[in-house]
Formats: sequence, C-alpha cells, structure tokens
Amino acid sequence: MRVCQRLCIIMGIFGLVVFFWSASADVGPTYAIRNAKIVPVSGPVIEKGIVIIRDGLIESLGPMGKVAVPDDAEIIEAEGLVAYPGLVSAHTNLFLDEPKTTEPAPSQPDFMMGVAQPQPVEFAELLAFRLLKPKKAPLDSYLKIGFTTVLIAPSKGIFQGQSVIVNLNGEKPEPMVLKNPAALHINLTTGRGTYPSSLMGTIAYIRQSFMDADYYTNARALYAKNPKSMKRPEFNPFLEALGPYLKDNKPVVFQCNNMEDIKRALKIIDEFKLNALLSHANEAWRDAAVLKKTPIPLLVTLDFTPPAGSKYVSQGEELKKKAEAEIYPANAANLAKEGIKFALTTLGLPDASTALKNIQAAIKAGLPKDETLRALTIQPAIYLGVASQLGSLEPGKIANVILTKGEIFDEKTVVDKVFVDGLLVKF
Amino acid sequence: MKKFLKHILVCGASFVLAALPILSAGGSLVIKNGTILTVTKGVIAKGDILVVDGIIKRIGENIAVPPGAKVIDASGKFVIPGIIDSHTHIALAGTNEGPEAITPEADVGEVVNADDTAILTALSGGVTMVHTMHGSANPIGGPNVVLKLKWGKPSEELIVPEALRTLKFALGENVKQSNRTISFGGPPPRYPQTRMGVNAIIRREMFKAKTYMEEWDRYNKLKASKTPPKSLLPPRKDLRMEVLSDLLRGKMVARCHDYQATEALEFMNLAKEFGFKIACFEHAWEAYKIADELVAAKIGISVFADSWAYKMEAAEGIAYMAGYCAKKGVLVSINSDSGERIRRLFNDASKTMKYGGLDENEALSLITINPAIQLGVDKIVGSLEVGKQADIAIFNKHPLSAYTRCDMTIIDGDVYFDRAQYLKDRDEADKKAQAPKTNGDRP
Amino acid sequence: MTKRIFIFAFGAMLAAGFFFGQTKPYKVLAIKSAKIIPVVGDEIDNGTILIRDGKIEAIGKEIDVPADAQVFEAKGLCAYPGMIDSFCFLGLQEISGVQATVDNRETGRINPQVRAIEALRYDSIHIPISRSNGITAALVAPTGGLVAGQSTLIKLDGWTNREMVIKRSAAMQIEFPAIRGGRGGFGGMGRGQAAPSDPAKLIAELKDLFHKARSYQKRKEFAAKNPALPIPGFDETSEFLFPILKGDLPVMISVHSEKDIRSAIQLVKEESLKAIFFGVEQGWKVADDLKKADIPVVLGSLYDLPPVWEDGYDSLYRNAGILNKAGVKIAFSSASASLAKDLPYHAAKAAAFGLDEKEALKAVTIYPAEIFGVDKLMGSLEKGKSANIILADGDILETRTNIKKVYIDGKDCDLSNRYTELLEKFKKRT
Repeated sequence: MRVCQRLCIIMGIFGLVVFFWSASADVGPTYAIRNAKIVPVSGPVIEKGIVIIRDGLIESLGPMGKVAVPDDAEIIEAEGLVAYPGLVSAHTNLFLDEPKTTEPAPSQPDFMMGVAQPQPVEFAELLAFRLLKPKKAPLDSYLKIGFTTVLIAPSKGIFQGQSVIVNLNGEKPEPMVLKNPAALHINLTTGRGTYPSSLMGTIAYIRQSFMDADYYTNARALYAKNPKSMKRPEFNPFLEALGPYLKDNKPVVFQCNNMEDIKRALKIIDEFKLNALLSHANEAWRDAAVLKKTPIPLLVTLDFTPPAGSKYVSQGEELKKKAEAEIYPANAANLAKEGIKFALTTLGLPDASTALKNIQAAIKAGLPKDETLRALTIQPAIYLGVASQLGSLEPGKIANVILTKGEIFDEKTVVDKVFVDGLLVKF
Repeated sequence: MKKFLKHILVCGASFVLAALPILSAGGSLVIKNGTILTVTKGVIAKGDILVVDGIIKRIGENIAVPPGAKVIDASGKFVIPGIIDSHTHIALAGTNEGPEAITPEADVGEVVNADDTAILTALSGGVTMVHTMHGSANPIGGPNVVLKLKWGKPSEELIVPEALRTLKFALGENVKQSNRTISFGGPPPRYPQTRMGVNAIIRREMFKAKTYMEEWDRYNKLKASKTPPKSLLPPRKDLRMEVLSDLLRGKMVARCHDYQATEALEFMNLAKEFGFKIACFEHAWEAYKIADELVAAKIGISVFADSWAYKMEAAEGIAYMAGYCAKKGVLVSINSDSGERIRRLFNDASKTMKYGGLDENEALSLITINPAIQLGVDKIVGSLEVGKQADIAIFNKHPLSAYTRCDMTIIDGDVYFDRAQYLKDRDEADKKAQAPKTNGDRP
Repeated sequence: MTKRIFIFAFGAMLAAGFFFGQTKPYKVLAIKSAKIIPVVGDEIDNGTILIRDGKIEAIGKEIDVPADAQVFEAKGLCAYPGMIDSFCFLGLQEISGVQATVDNRETGRINPQVRAIEALRYDSIHIPISRSNGITAALVAPTGGLVAGQSTLIKLDGWTNREMVIKRSAAMQIEFPAIRGGRGGFGGMGRGQAAPSDPAKLIAELKDLFHKARSYQKRKEFAAKNPALPIPGFDETSEFLFPILKGDLPVMISVHSEKDIRSAIQLVKEESLKAIFFGVEQGWKVADDLKKADIPVVLGSLYDLPPVWEDGYDSLYRNAGILNKAGVKIAFSSASASLAKDLPYHAAKAAAFGLDEKEALKAVTIYPAEIFGVDKLMGSLEKGKSANIILADGDILETRTNIKKVYIDGKDCDLSNRYTELLEKFKKRT
C-alpha cells in the first residue's frame, strides 16, 4: 500500500507537471517532407528521402519507403528539392535596440583624478535578450537565404554584454530564445574619447576587470562565510556579472579584429584560464601556426573588409584591391587547408544578400562546399553548446529545416521552404 | 658497461649541442671587401665579416666563404652596425592613452603591429632596431618596447627580450595640453594644466605606489606568519600600481620626455625623492644648460640633431646641443621620433661634426653603440664585434657624408632591405606595366 | 698731460670701434689663396677674388691686388657663390606651433593682394642661422588657399626688411592641392588617403579669375581714356592678379600630382603665363612635358615621405635627377624657416640618388638665380656680379663642412646666431 501510494503521488505530480508544461504551449503540426534529397550533415546524404516533423522536433528521417508517413502529417512534396539543416550564424548584432554609450560628465571633484570625461559605460551585465526587437523584413531576409538560428550579441563597448541564441521563428522575443545568456562578449576595441581610448589601455582594462572580478568574488565569498569579520564589500554589478565567466567557466567570446588581436586575446585567455571562443578573426589564416598550437573555437566572419592596419592595404592600390577581392575572402579556405576548424558567421555584414554573396565568394576562393555547410550548421552548434538540439538533421533535434531548389549556396539556388521550430514559415 | 653508457651519453649530448646552432634563428652570410666601421674596435679599410646563424663570427681580411653562405659584395662600400633609433612610435597599434593622465598599465608591448609599413621606411634608412614608445600625452605613459625591424616575421619575433624595461614619462607642453584649444562651457580640462601640476601628479602616484607596496608587504608577512588571520584577503591587485612598483623596485628605468631645463632638474629631484632610476631624457632641448648635472647623475639624452622651434619649449634648442653634451661626457643618442626622419638618422648624426666638433666615430656612436647602451642591449648589438648579433647596414659612401645612401640592411644575418633587388623589382614592374596589352588591342 | 691722455683715449675708442665691430669697412677686399668654385666656369686652385663696392671686380689665379686692399688669407678654404633658397618661410615664422609668431598663411582662398615682404621679420632668429650656413638669398613665400599672395626675393642681410629686398614681388603664389590629405601614404605617423585629383575645377576657377581681371583692366583703361565712362569700383583681386597676365610678374604654381602638373602646364600655355612650378613630387613622370613647356621646377623639401606608395620609397629623392637629365631646370628649397639652413643637404640627398653632383650645386646657386631673373647679380662667382661669396672648409653640400666667412654684397657678415649665443652663454657655466 505504501508503495502504491508513493507511486500515485509521483504519477500525480508528474501528470500535473506535464499538464502545466504542455498546457502552456500549443501542440505543433506534423509534416512529412517527401521525395527530397536529404543532407543531414551528421550522416550520409540520402538521395531520395523523407523527413517527419512533429511538434517542433524532427521525429524521424530516412530513405523513401523506409519511413512511414504518420496519419496526421501534412504532406510537403519536395521532389527536386534538397533538405538541409537550417543555417546557424554564431555571432551577429541583429535585431537589437541598443542604448547610448556615454554618460554625462561627472561633477567637478572627479577631474582632479587626472581623468577626462565622459566616463566609459561598460555593459557586462547587459543581456542582449532585453534589447531584442526583431522586425519582419530583416528576419525574413535571413530566413530566405536559409538562416534559422542566430546568436545575437550587443555591439557597443569593450565588455559588450551577454548574448542570446534565438531561432528566427517570429517577432516575439520569448519564443525565439534557445539559450540565454549564451556567452559574455568582449571586443578588442577602444572607448573613443573615454578611457580606455587606446588598444593597450583596453587590454589593461580587460585584465584589470578580470582581476577585480576575482578579488570581488573572493571578498564576497569570504564575507558570506563570516560576515562579522569584515566590512561588507561594496556591491558592483559589473564585477558581479563577470564573476561566473571567470570562476565558473562560462563561455567568453573575444572579438579579434586582426591577426594580432588573436594573439592578444589568447594571452588574456591563458592568464585567466577562460573558457573562450574567438570571433571575427577575418585574418585568422595569418595565425595558422599559433592556432594549430593552441586550438580554440573560431567564429570566423564572412566580412572580408581588410583590417585598417593590414599591410595588404597600405602598400599600393593594386595590392589593396587584391586583398579585398581575393586574399581576405580566402581566409576560411586557408584555415581549412591547415586543418583548423571554424564556424562561419555573418558578423558585421550589412544585410542578408551580402551574407549570401560572401558565402559564395568564400567557396569560390577555395573553401569546399561541404565544409562551408558544416561551418554554418553543426560546427557553430558544437561551439555554442547546442549541438544536441541543432546543427544537423537527426531525430530528436529541433526541426529547423530548409528546402532548396538547387544545391545550397549555388548561384541560381533559391530557398523554397523554411521550417523553424517545426513551423513552416510564411513569407 | 657504465663507461660505455657514459660515452654514449656524452656523444649524444655533444651531438645535440653541435646541432643547436642549426636550430637557432638567423642567416649566414659573408660581407666582402667593405670599409668596416666597427664603432668600438676601429676601422678596417678593406675587410670581411662572417656571419653564421645570425651571429658575427669573424671580422678581418680575406675570410673564406663557408658552403651555403650568401656572399655580399661590399667593394667600395661602407659597413656599419645597424642603426638604432631609441625614440619612435612606429609598429604600434596606438601610442597614447590620453583621457587619463596616469596610465602605466597601458603597455605598448601588447600592441605591436608588425604590419606597419613604417618598418620598411626605416629599413631603407639602415635602421635595424627601434625603441618604440608611448607618446607624450601623459605625465606617466607606460612601458615601452624594443623591436628589431624584421619585416614579415610575426610580431612576437620582433621583440628584443634583452632590452631594459623602460617606463615613459613626459613633462611640459604636450602633457599640460598647452597646444589644444579649450572649449568654454565644456567639461573642465584634464588635470594637470601646469608644470607644477605635472610634478605633483607624478609625486602623488609615487606615494600611491609606495602605499600599495606596503599593503602587499604587510599582507605577505601576515600570510607567511605562523598564525595568519582567518579572514585574510589579499589587497586588490592593481596593474597600474604594479608597474609603478616595478619602477620603484628598480626593475624598470624611466625615460622622460622633457624640454625645459627646470623640468629635467625637478624630475631628477623626484627620482631622488622616490629612489627610481632615470635612464634618459627624451628630446631634452635644454640639456646643454644642465650638462654637468646630467653627467653627475649618469643620465643620458636621446635627442634630435636640429628639429627645433616648433613649440615654445623648443625655442632654445640649439644644433650644437648633441655635440656639446657628448663632449661634456653625457651619453647622447640621436633619435627620429618620426616615420620620415627615421630614414635620415645618419644625416642627422653627421651634423654633430659641424655643430659640436665630434669626430666621425663619435658621431656614428650617436646612432649605434650609444642608444644600445641606453637600452641595455650593448652586449648584443650597437657595434660590429665578434659575438654580437649581425645587425648591419651597408652604405655606398661614408655614412656621415651627405651624399651617402643606404644600400642594404641586415638583421640577424638576414637581408631585410636590398636596394639593388628593389631597383630590379621596380624595373620589372615598370616593364610589365608598359607592355602592350594582349587583349582588345587589335583594330 | 690731460690733453694727451684725452687724445689717446679718443684714439683708443676709435681703434676699438674698428676692432670690435664684426664687419670691418674696407674699400677693396682681396680674398687670396682660395680654391675657387665659381659654378659657372672652371674651378681655380689657389685663386684670388677682388671685391670693390659690393661687386666682384676681378677673379682668377693671377690677379693684381691693389696696395690699399684689405687682404683675407683663405688658404685651405673653398670659395663658392652664396646659396639661394628657392622657397622658404624665413621671416614669416618664428615658432611654428605658436600662431602669434606665424604670418605665412592668410585666411581665405584668394589673396593675391598680400605681400610676404610686408610681414617679413628681418630680425628673425632663423635668418642668421641660415646665413651662417652659406645661404645668402632666399625666396620667402606665403602659402595656403588657391592664390596665396606675392612672394619676395631677399638677401639675408639688412637692418630693415626693405633693405633686404632684391625683388619686392618675385612671384604670385598659386597652389594646387597636395596629393595626400595629411602626412601618410607611405606608413609612419598618419595614414592619409590620396585625395582625388580634380584639376579641372581649379583651372576653371583660375581662368574665371583671370577673365575677370582682364575685363576689369579693360574697363579701367576705357574709363581712363573716356571720362563719360564710369570708373569701375576697386576690385582688389583683379587689380593684383593682372600683373601675371601682363607677363610682368611670374607665377609660382605649387603643383604635385602627375595629373595636376599636366593640367597646370596646359593652363600656363593657354594663359601665356611666365611660370615656375614648385613641389612637383610626381614631376619625374612628366619630365618631358615640363621640358617641352620650358617650365623650371623648384623642388620642395626632400624631408618628406613619398606621396603615394606606388611611386617608390625614393621617389622624392630621385625626382631631381630624372628632371635634370630630361633637361628641366631645377632648384632646391628648404620649404622651412627653422630648417632653412639645410638647403644644401637636400641637394646632396638628390645627388645620392642620381643627380649629378655638379648639377646639384648649380641647383642651389646659378639655377635659382636664373629662375628668378637675377642671374646677372648672383648665382656664380663672375666678374661684375654681386660679391655674394662664402668661404668654407670643404664641399658646402656636405653636412660636416664649416662656413668660415659669408660676404653679401661684399659685406663681411656676422656669423653669430641664436645657436652660438646660447652656446656661448652656457659655455660660461663651469
């Protein structure tokens, strides 16, 4: 009797949980995508197959005839189309309504410190999620070229804030969220008129911030253990926000705008033993030796604009043109040749059509097509810690599926249909 | 058996040791039949230099060429140590952290930019090594770095680890922002705005650094004691204070940008007050007024030959200064502080023969061994001596002649600038540009 | 007794007057035993120069020296003509960063009415320094805008600015834009982008100004002849531009890029201007065109980086040699006030990169004299010319050479300057 009672209670609680959980969301539709060529990325290509989507997830996939079509499935005829996992851009600044970056000048006594105004405002505690304001037109433009998942990070400041990973399933922020926060973002840039206004100042500032976060966390812990032994450490929201990234190994993304930044970031990462990824990195091929010695997740942008100080742009017009047209677009291809893994992102690109154009340029410059696809699907998913949910067509994963007329990334290819979270997108 | 093993070990070790030079960086070459101006060991009218793996192995006459070594024909030419510019701002991504006055945490060594084409400009003027620095926006700028101008190599390979660690200070007009327009009604200008304030702010930071060091001493003592207190928290680590502490501990030397004599004398007082060492005054246009004090304090100067009268504090700079101070016993180097002047340092050095009466070797020292001593690298560069690194420049006429031209610049035994090759490449490029196009030209 | 003392004292004072003054008045001066480099004509070893009334009366190996001649024994020294700086700011700039001491750049774009001579600070600290390095004449020019004003040719000696005048208005300064915005284009500090060249607009603007000047002049003439016609209101710009259209005043056109140089050549031809070009950094690309148009070139300071990467690291240095070989008349300038003394070293630098050494010397002596139309007065050591003579212990284009004597119009000039004053002052500190 006792066992029975316990079981009933447990079942009852479980049922309530299921009830409330499922009562909070509608059950999604079921689709059967038939006669498509399927490129799962995580497995061999299926020349003619079927994908079953149910309630937001991929239920099953396989060759025609091997997978049964459920009775409640809406049939999607995909003869002549190719099914791919939805593309993932692992670093963007899209769809944000960002705050101003300066504060008014401090009062008179402060200037005796030898400090100029205005003072910098750092955003470590800022959540990109709070700034999300997706608009239909740009959303659709990215869906139309096959992107279904993006990481969105704030773009201002040195400590830029904490990013969010979203599925592009509509204009309401909450249902989009996959992971929040995703990572802390740091950019090797300067404060422009405020401290730090030079790159060396920025590097010192980043290091000092982590040192202070360490001190702060230790002081708070000590105080918590024995409040009577010391004055309470002053609350500092910036350091509070940094703490988990320093102490609990939460991921930190360093935006490296040229080859030297990569080495500078690696030094800081090593000093503080951070769990880090490097982003932008559009000169990463020039650091191949370093990256082979110290492998680190790379989020390589498709923005081919040569860095301002690059020697390729300061030695005459001819070399500059070559840099823009050939050398920098070959970044990813060169990394692949060196056996260095990376994901591709759309960071810094003005719009979706440029993104597609640049993907094609990267392929033309020598990046094999299947590697390009991997770099936009499973690799970013692995780097972002969501590989169990996204990045390939596998049963149990989120149903982010795109159907293309033609092989993906080819000149004449168009995206015919897009499924995000198992819902067919209506353009 | 033991003896046999020992034998093997010795053989193996010596094999490895013998192989080591092959593993080290640097090229091998022989410079032949040049007039060698060693700077420290006299002049060889017609001689050779043998370089193996980046090190000068022999200087003399009729040296045999080892297999595999590149031969450089220096007939009729002059061979000197690579020129050292002890005050520049090239090859850096940024030089001033202006919004705050005290910024020693900002280290230029973190922002070396090996892509800077100013490196090529410098190489074309025979310069092989630079002390690239903070600018002069701040009373206390930050650490500087010494680089070899190895164009094409990754930035970390440019850094010269043997160099003294130097900390940039600045005094005078730039620091007190005299030459900026003040906007009325805007935020108050950055303190300090007078020379009094400049000294006061440096003194304040030194006191803060001393306090910081005392806090850490106290903590370390407590921690090491038999019964350390339970809630012992170390003091907050402060990068800014760490650098100043290093200066006060003697691990760094000060290099101070100054113009007026009073500024220099008062900075020397500050150094005495807090016990730090000044290696060099930069620019120091009034150093001739206090030459005796500089000699007594063993402080060098790193100056222009004659670029003056661009600011009030440069209005009493005289072209005789470098030569006069050198004759008085001050350690003088001539610098460029300019991405253009850097390729004429040998011309600037030669001016001290006319303004100052220096002889050829004294004048040449101003851009070779003297800056090397100031930077603490005189054991490895600065003169042509056996055992030193092969940083060499070759000129088609005497380097102190106004008619001379740098024809080749070598660093660690590798050629980084070769005018003959440059001309050949340019000729080819010109020919290609003028060649008739093969498409669309037919009528 | 007291009378004798009085006479003695008076005599001593007179004698003191003679001996303490740096410049000793004389009737005839003979410089003997010098190695004479006249620039025009052959060198004379162990020669003599005779100076009377500020002119070279005789020059040669065997010369009759009058009995009452003052003699300067110049054994071991070389005699050269005084050098001429073909573009500088001497007298218009003391401390370049202190605006109150700078007078070479008027505000606005069109300023033909301003005259450098009227602002020339003859007591500038920089003039004695330049003079003591053997420079005896200079073109002092205003700069800035499109029409910067009238430059002046001065000798570097005189108690007032007007005393220094050789030509009150030597040229009208017109300026095309520099090739790059700021310092840059070749690495180093500053990374200026090459400014896009659009000479057509500037040429149109200048032609418009010239047209206005001509029609203004015509109306003035007609009104002068016919009292019934109204007198045109005073048009300052037209008034001061007209002399260049008449051919009375040369124009010195500051021009830099290949495209602009070609357009400027065209303008000079179409407007029949007597022209000198200044700067001409890409002149080596259009040397033949410059030769054909017979336009002399004053080179800017060689202490600068090449304007564009593609021109090569040595483009400013080899420019002079290429122009000279193509037959273009060249002259060097310091383009400075505080570094005006470096004029000869620009010439030597060009010689290091291909310019014939003798031509380099001519480009700081006879060629500038010819360019500014004063070659009958100076630029070489020849009978009848002004006694602008320098005595040096070596080649005057060499940095280590010391200038021992500077004669301007025969006057033995004071060689002390700001440098020597301060040096002597602090030498006294023992």
